[in-house]
Amino acid sequence: MKIEIADNKGMRVIAISGDIDMYTSPELRKELMHLVQKKITPLYVDFRGVSYIDSSGIATFVEGLKGMMGYGGKMKLVCIPERIMEIFSFAKLDKVFEIHGTMSDAVNS
Amino acid sequence: MKEAAVITVPSNPQYLSVIRAVTAAMAELYGMADKVVEELKLAVDEACANVIRHAYGGDTSQTIIVKFILKRGFEVVIEDNGVKAKPELIAGRDLGEVRPGGLGIHFITRAFDVFAFDGRKRKGNRLRLIRHRREDNEDRDRRQ
Repeated sequence: MKIEIADNKGMRVIAISGDIDMYTSPELRKELMHLVQKKITPLYVDFRGVSYIDSSGIATFVEGLKGMMGYGGKMKLVCIPERIMEIFSFAKLDKVFEIHGTMSDAVNS
Repeated sequence: MKEAAVITVPSNPQYLSVIRAVTAAMAELYGMADKVVEELKLAVDEACANVIRHAYGGDTSQTIIVKFILKRGFEVVIEDNGVKAKPELIAGRDLGEVRPGGLGIHFITRAFDVFAFDGRKRKGNRLRLIRHRREDNEDRDRRQ
């Protein structure tokens, strides 16, 4: 898994690629919670390169979202591949997270 | 004749990717459709993560044995020598509830028709998972 955090014209984007599982999710959690502690909002999470996610990865995003709700922050999940989206839907989290098909949709929402 | 493959890996989360790769390869060999291969891969990953987390309490120096048996169903047997699971206490969270954790068991029981601990194993756990062929056209036999 690779994590890239970019500051694009004031937009904070965290782009993830590879597998998010029990092995890699602690690193993701550390980066995500660091941004949450800084009360970044909105936070865009680019899923384009994510090839796999398990329950520990899902739990990391739920924890991040809950942390952001504490200060009224918004987490926007963008470009989620179909096979990853299916997992969010099964877990009934597609209605919990703000999900957008493209970055421009996320920015304009 | 039944076909089988066995892998033994350290109880280290970095080997979950190996378990997933073998699970996917065996499911493809069995003729499962791509969607089902993904479900089975996730389910076996979750079951092995539970072994690391609960049976071994995070100890990465132990071993996990995963056996794949292709017979009348797609069967996966996962063995460890850790703390005995208490099946009566295994329950996922309500899917309508939003909190971290409690999803793994849902992913396992979605993919497999049989989820059973073999009580005859004296030390540790032997979890038997079986996915029967379903008639909803999700399980496509690629060998035909």
